[in-house]
Amino acid sequence: MPTTDRRITDVDRVVLTRMLDLVIPPADDFPGAGGLGLTERLERSSLRYGRLRSGLLAVLDAMSLDMASRVEGGFAALDEERQIAALKTVETNLPVQFGEFIELVYETYYTDSRVHERIGWAGRPPQPEGFDLEPWDSSVLENARKREPFWREVS
Amino acid sequence: MTEAPIPFGQEPSEQRSEQAMVVAPQITPVITAESQSIPDVADVLIIGAGAAGAAVAWRLAQAGFSVVCLEQGQWINPALYPTKDRNWEILGRHEWNWDPNKRGRPDDYPVNDAESAITPLMFAAVGGSTIHWTAHAPRFHPSDFRVKTLDGVADDWPITYDDLDPYFDQNDMMMGCSGINGDPAGPPRSERPMPPIPLGEDGTHVAAAFDRLGWHWWPSDSYVNSEPYKGRDECNYCGPLGFGCTRKAKSSTDLTYWPEAIRLGAVMKTYSRVSEITVGPDGRATGANYFDRAGNVQHQAARSVVVAANGVGTPRLLLMSKSEAHPNGLINSSGLVGRNLMFHPYTITTGLIPGLSETWKGPMGNILMSQEFYETDLRRDFVRGYAYQLNRGTGPLATALGGAHEPVGWGTGHHEDFAERFGHSVTLAGIGEDLPEEHNTVTLDEQLTDSNGLPAPRINYTLSENSRRMMDHSIRSATTVLEEAGATRIMANPLLREGGWHLMGTARMGEDPERSVVNQWCQAHDTDNVFVVDGSVFVTAGAVNPTPTLQAIALRAADYIAHERDDLKR
Repeated sequence: MPTTDRRITDVDRVVLTRMLDLVIPPADDFPGAGGLGLTERLERSSLRYGRLRSGLLAVLDAMSLDMASRVEGGFAALDEERQIAALKTVETNLPVQFGEFIELVYETYYTDSRVHERIGWAGRPPQPEGFDLEPWDSSVLENARKREPFWREVS
Repeated sequence: MTEAPIPFGQEPSEQRSEQAMVVAPQITPVITAESQSIPDVADVLIIGAGAAGAAVAWRLAQAGFSVVCLEQGQWINPALYPTKDRNWEILGRHEWNWDPNKRGRPDDYPVNDAESAITPLMFAAVGGSTIHWTAHAPRFHPSDFRVKTLDGVADDWPITYDDLDPYFDQNDMMMGCSGINGDPAGPPRSERPMPPIPLGEDGTHVAAAFDRLGWHWWPSDSYVNSEPYKGRDECNYCGPLGFGCTRKAKSSTDLTYWPEAIRLGAVMKTYSRVSEITVGPDGRATGANYFDRAGNVQHQAARSVVVAANGVGTPRLLLMSKSEAHPNGLINSSGLVGRNLMFHPYTITTGLIPGLSETWKGPMGNILMSQEFYETDLRRDFVRGYAYQLNRGTGPLATALGGAHEPVGWGTGHHEDFAERFGHSVTLAGIGEDLPEEHNTVTLDEQLTDSNGLPAPRINYTLSENSRRMMDHSIRSATTVLEEAGATRIMANPLLREGGWHLMGTARMGEDPERSVVNQWCQAHDTDNVFVVDGSVFVTAGAVNPTPTLQAIALRAADYIAHERDDLKR
């Protein structure tokens, strides 16, 4: 049963950091989610939202219980191909919890200012600046205005 | 050892700005009942301070009635909406979620939607769901009130478009409508007080695709200021309409009707959750019992009660208000309270257009609407029709999580998938006319309760075959438009589950007391001093956002009370 009431251990953090790099890998010279050092922030965010913490712990638990990984010395000791396979196994077996884990990872990664800069996002909240749009121009209605009324009249 | 969760409202991460510290529950009460004179017996007791209740309060206070409103939520200070917070996207998924079950604020009641294809969305506050709406302001069509006569389905309304026309205009002025005349999809109407919201590069691009196909489109009517209006700022096109507007550019009734109503003498009691409308031995309403903020039961006496708690909250309250005179719930002799629940089913068809690069720039919605497929066409395999709203792209987090579609995939290919979507997506949201079916219901849940121990509403809703065919058609047509606009990839969601913004039909109006709950003036057939004025009274759903129509209906009902019900006045 997924739980929200256990601590995340140092071993978990090693596994988690590696998982983050697999979920969102490095791109060009930009680090992956693990390499960005998001593990601690992700862990803290999970304390705020219990549903997402359940997903996180369920995935970590599944990793620590994976027999194939244990035989090899744990998830961190696997090569990348087998690590990805292990994650896919969890995704298949625990789709809801894995989805919550992904949600938590994306929430952490895509609200990071360094990521915003990389993807060309303004990197600021929508307000107070907002954005500029070209002013309204009625000429765009030139074609639409040519159409005869087509609503149904009722008696 | 257990790690305690961070209490609501406290800083979870080093990246949260200081503003996040004061977001959500720390709401500044603008006006309290303590600062107002509360009548022992109100002429009119309004339950619910949302779109409809506000309109009625304003009109009746103007007409000299003593008005008291009980609202379970609170005043929200617009300065505290999350769009000023750098983590606004996270807050929007949790503390400010449209779904009360996910939001979980103490003011909310839970909803059991396990047996519903669509999740009802609502907000408990002064302003109700106008706090988090996108403020689309289209009107129903004349044909929407005559579906039985025209198409042989459902029932005709006891009122017509023409009956509502002056109230539509009145509401547009109060709420502040941006738009432009000449739309061939609807009847002629008065000028809007403000010009349309600009289309933007993306809106212009998609409009041109509609033009090339010869299909209808028109700038959205919008209760968002395109220029300063009545002391509220103009929109600065920040994007996320769904949270409330820090500039007050998006209209919500806490900013429009309520300040006027209170200036005219209406009394607002917040944190007041009604548990029961009380009745006398003759079955007429005498007021309401409610829980105050401390959880104590209070009573507000009144000569009449106007229920405006939305299409789910209203039947819930009526069903909770059982008495000897009303053993099946208040004004429920027809057995139709809670039946005929209608949503607007939404399809979401998103096109990725490489030629567009910043589709997150500008209001999420309120761009353009197409009503090419609004009216019944016998060549199609469904009756009635649907409309399209064009929606923009979203911020980075919502893009990654997919919105209405599958999230960006994890692992290899993640960045390519994200880059293909971000800034390049536009969406045609198909909004379909749902027809009333008695088996789609709001009832009282036997286990789930709110924080005061009151039964939560339970929703049973299935999508009809007619709606299914309609929605399939909307995806095909949207695909045609988006391909014409140059989309290289199209994603389609055939039914947006978290799309139950519009709650209708659960206390329908009509002339026959055996087939309806209220008459054309929104007055209950069973009891002459109970009125229902929200989306519950809708006979059919139309295929556009219902709020201007329900507000016009509420204003018309209030006009009736003002002119014909002097007996309710002290």
